[in-house]
Amino acid sequence: MTHLIERSKRSVSSAAVLAATALAAGLFAYQFDGSREVESRILTAEPRTTSSLAHLRAQHAALKRQLAAYAPTGAYIVVDTARNRLYVKRREAVLLDAVVSTGSGTILDHPDQPERRWVFDTPRGAFAVESKLVNPAWVKPDWAFLEEGRMIPANAAERVETGILGEYAFGFGNGYFIHGTLYTRMLGKNVTHGCIRLNDDDLRTVNRLADIGTPLIIF
Amino acid sequence: MRHRKFFIALGLAAAFCGTCLVTETSAQNLQATGERQAVQEANTVLQEEIKLAARPQTYLLIDVHQGVVLVKARGVEIHRLPLLSWRAREDRLPVGLFRLTARPPMDRPKTKPGEDATEHPIDVSDMPAEYHLALEPSLLVAVVPPARNHPWLWIRGRMREWWSRAVSNGSSPWLRLTLSPESARSLAWSVTESMPVLIGRATIP
Repeated sequence: MTHLIERSKRSVSSAAVLAATALAAGLFAYQFDGSREVESRILTAEPRTTSSLAHLRAQHAALKRQLAAYAPTGAYIVVDTARNRLYVKRREAVLLDAVVSTGSGTILDHPDQPERRWVFDTPRGAFAVESKLVNPAWVKPDWAFLEEGRMIPANAAERVETGILGEYAFGFGNGYFIHGTLYTRMLGKNVTHGCIRLNDDDLRTVNRLADIGTPLIIF
Repeated sequence: MRHRKFFIALGLAAAFCGTCLVTETSAQNLQATGERQAVQEANTVLQEEIKLAARPQTYLLIDVHQGVVLVKARGVEIHRLPLLSWRAREDRLPVGLFRLTARPPMDRPKTKPGEDATEHPIDVSDMPAEYHLALEPSLLVAVVPPARNHPWLWIRGRMREWWSRAVSNGSSPWLRLTLSPESARSLAWSVTESMPVLIGRATIP
């Protein structure tokens, strides 16, 4: 009987030692856990932490709305100069997908004035339609004469050429236009001096959808 | 003897449960912290993007979490280039607004007077598939094709990257983006001098 009581006492003491070890292990793990600070905040002030994350999410939604406010509300034009495509879009909807010609990227130096150089790139960036011309005439710049191997005329009237830009031209600054072309077989290629050329049907569609102030994004 | 075994089992179970509880709570806390940090980062990126969208310009948004490089203007996504993989110095992604100092170099054909300047145009296929973009504040972005398909370009890119880091004493932050050659060329084509480049998380988890 004494033997049995002795064994029970030993069992209880062993279990007590184990329980104490478990408690100590738990406390040790808790003490040295890297996120104890965060944990204590979550545990002691869970509603505040939740609202903090919720607040951040609400702030995110508000910022998204603020950003979306800068997106064009009406029709806008996107030109992909790498693939020679022009899109007229409204929100996510594509109203026109047209093949165009954009800048060739080549360089022309003035033979007598080394400081004058032309780089025939279509400008990239965000613009807007600044002018809308019907049956436009082309006022040939200096490079057009140099390219043809001709003298640059002193008389401005000699620069005017009609019937080659199509029915409409949409200016977007610095002498660059979206216009029609006689060279429709070159559509889809980088062959222009920086302007964006379209065929007649697509030019009419652009005329119908775009107006002065229509955003134009070129990349 | 039976009592002893019972108490030992009880003790072990208590120890196991205690450890599990601490580990699980820690994991949850880490997750919550990570989520909060992600939302905070996305909000910072959005605040910067709002400033960019207000100006008439195109800008780049590099979001490695989404695995994309976006060409954007006025907050609208104009073009999307998928990112195959990325790596940053000490795996720490540089987050913030940068500015491109120069476009990747390209050989532009020169024409002489009397020649048609558009006869030998450059197009996107003439752009490099492996290059560096130097950004301000100091950040070097290496654009490389995947090693398995383009080993020579990949090796050249790594050597160039190693050289750039050696020249800068290895102190400048860097970011390596792996894009398909088509996407890399398209990116080189679309970037402009002084273009703003926003790096960071654009969406929240």
